[in-house]
Parts: sequence; structure tokens; C-alpha cells
Amino acid sequence: MAFDDYKADYLLVMRAEHGSVAPAFISKGEEIGDVRFDIPYQLITVLSRIYPQIPKGKIAVVVRKCDELALNELFKRGIIDGKRIFKIGLACDENIIDKCRCPDPVPSKVDIGEPKKGVAEDATVTRLRKMSPDERLKFWVRQFRKCNKCFGCTITCPVCFCENQCVLGERTLVAEKSIPPGLAFHLVRSFHMADKCIECGECERACPAEIPLLTFRKMVHADMKELYGFTPGDEKTVSPLLTTLEGEPLEDEKNVC
Amino acid sequence: MTEFNPTILAFCCNWCSYAGADLAGVSRLQMPPNVHVIRVMCSASVKPEYVFKALSEGIDGVLVLGCHIGDCHYLTGNHRTAKRFPLAQKILNDVGIDERRLKLDWVSAAEGEKFQTVITEFVSQIKQLGPNPLREVKF
Repeated sequence: MAFDDYKADYLLVMRAEHGSVAPAFISKGEEIGDVRFDIPYQLITVLSRIYPQIPKGKIAVVVRKCDELALNELFKRGIIDGKRIFKIGLACDENIIDKCRCPDPVPSKVDIGEPKKGVAEDATVTRLRKMSPDERLKFWVRQFRKCNKCFGCTITCPVCFCENQCVLGERTLVAEKSIPPGLAFHLVRSFHMADKCIECGECERACPAEIPLLTFRKMVHADMKELYGFTPGDEKTVSPLLTTLEGEPLEDEKNVC
Repeated sequence: MTEFNPTILAFCCNWCSYAGADLAGVSRLQMPPNVHVIRVMCSASVKPEYVFKALSEGIDGVLVLGCHIGDCHYLTGNHRTAKRFPLAQKILNDVGIDERRLKLDWVSAAEGEKFQTVITEFVSQIKQLGPNPLREVKF
């Protein structure tokens, strides 16, 4: 990889150094080092944290398909300027696709890796949909009981960006010293992410209690598709939760003086 | 065998459904006493957080009542409620809570009788569904 290939001033990749692989933000002129493409990690979260401190210059970042969708969600909301980001498309390989149960692992432009086929459906989702509601509730209560409110899922999520005003910090919703934090925490989080979640699976990988968060996200994703025909990550469409019944933008969301 | 007495919350918007509830009261219409009415300024101000927290802590049913479409005091408030409501029901279904424990309806300020009907039907529906299984679950 060379900087001149991408006409960028910065490069955001996963790099191996000192015996482990971690995100690296490399400026032009610095040595690039040993870049790795086989360890999945949410570089868009890293980008959104660094971006406010980089006032100018183009940033090239390695994106998988899910990362590309996350970038679209951030572009739509004006959090990151699309003209400053250069995407290096990475096609995931089979074990990553299997771990994420990914249905669509090929980005719009593939620069690295061979495009592979996605997985048709998640086995846990199918099993859960067949269960009766009581059994399903028992399953989820048993899983969510393991939660120790580390907020790992929130911190690594690329589209979870209401940083200082997050409602999950309100003591009226999530009581102090409440570990586990109750089912409401997870239901509220799923609702708020419903029109933004791009199913990268980072929440599930970050969870120290190994709760199948990605499975729940996939169920909500299917609901969004069924109810509104909406899939997050689309470049143009506004979330259906932000429009009137006729699909018009809401009164106060229009820039009317 | 004691009969199950459900606990139900009803979020009523100040301008239409709460006035409708008042009218039902003034007209001395009989309704089951299990419903606790909470007045909010608009049905859109009922955040999904309130509904999810209520159901997770063991409330048996939640009613959200607003103005009819086109009559919202804040013009598009009930549009927002109508748009976000099906998603809340689906998420409850995904987790395993019966989605019929959550209901949205429109009651205007002159519809005291409709308020009575909505309350009576919802209470009997919840009685049929039984107590919220999350009541016994200690989180």
C-alpha cells in the first residue's frame, strides 16, 4: 500500500505491531508498516472519534461492506464530510463471513480480497422465530441477565453517536447500581439503533458476557424491512421514523426560517 | 383462586384523549378500575423508553392514546407516534413479550364513550393474556 495510490493525507488501517493487531492512523510521510486485513474491527468508530481533530485533509480508510453502510449513515447526518473520505474496499473472507453470519459481504468497489458469497440466514434467528413467545422471552432474559452494563456495545458501535445526551445515561431509566440493568436497557438500545444499525457485529464481539446481540439486531432489521421497507446504510433515504405518515419530512426538521 | 387484576398504564394526550377521559368521567360511564392515566402533552412525547421500562418492570399493559390524525395540537405529533409504534410492537414480539400488551388508539375530546370502550376492551384483553411474565423475573 502506498499513500500516492489514494491521494490521501492520512491512512486508517489495522496494523500489526509489538505482537498484536490494532487500528493505526498514519500520516503521510510516516512508515506504513505491516497492514493486516484479516482481523475484523470497526474502523469507522475510530474514524468518528478522530475526525473532529483533523480539520483538513483526505483520509483513506479500509472498509468492508458494513463499514461502507456505516459511513453512509454518518454522511447522511452530516457528521462526516463524504468528500474527505476515500474508501479502500475490502472483501471479507469465509471465516469472517461465517462469524458475522453476513448476508452481503462485498463492498461497492473491491480493492483487496476476493468477493465471496454471503450466508443466507442466521441459524439462531430461525430457531428463535420458531419458538413460542414464552420460550423466546426465557431465552432473552437468560441472555440479557449476563449484562454487566459495561457499555462496550455502545462504545464500539459506529452509528451510536449521541455521545453526551444518551438516554441510557439517565438515572430514571437505568437505576444506579443496577447490574444487570434490566430488559429496558436493551430494548431501548435496539429501538434507537433500528434505523441505523448496519449489522457489523462489533457489539457482539465487544460483549464480555457473550450475549448474542447481533442476533437481536438481525431480528429488528428484518422487522424494519417488513414494516417500512427500509434498510439502514442507504445513501439517499431518510429514516422512516423521521417522516410524517405521507413520507414528508417533519415540520421542524425542514430548514424553514 | 383469586382473579388476576391487571395493572395498566394509559398515556393520554392533554388536548384530546385526556379531555375524552374527563368527559367519560363526567358522564359517569362505568369502566374497570385497573387503568392508571398519565397525562402527557402529546402522544409523541411518549418515548419508547417509558413503554419498554413499564413492560420490563412488570406492568401488564400499556395504552397510548392520542388525537386523530390531522387533529394533533402540534400538527405532526401523532404522525410520529403512528410511525414509531409498529416498530415498538415488533421489538416486543422479538424479545418474547406479547405485542398485544401495547396498544395505540385515537380518542378525541368529544369521544367519552369511545374512551370507555377502549379501556374496557383493553382490560379484558389483558385479563385474557394473563400477568406479565416479567413480573416474577428479578433482574
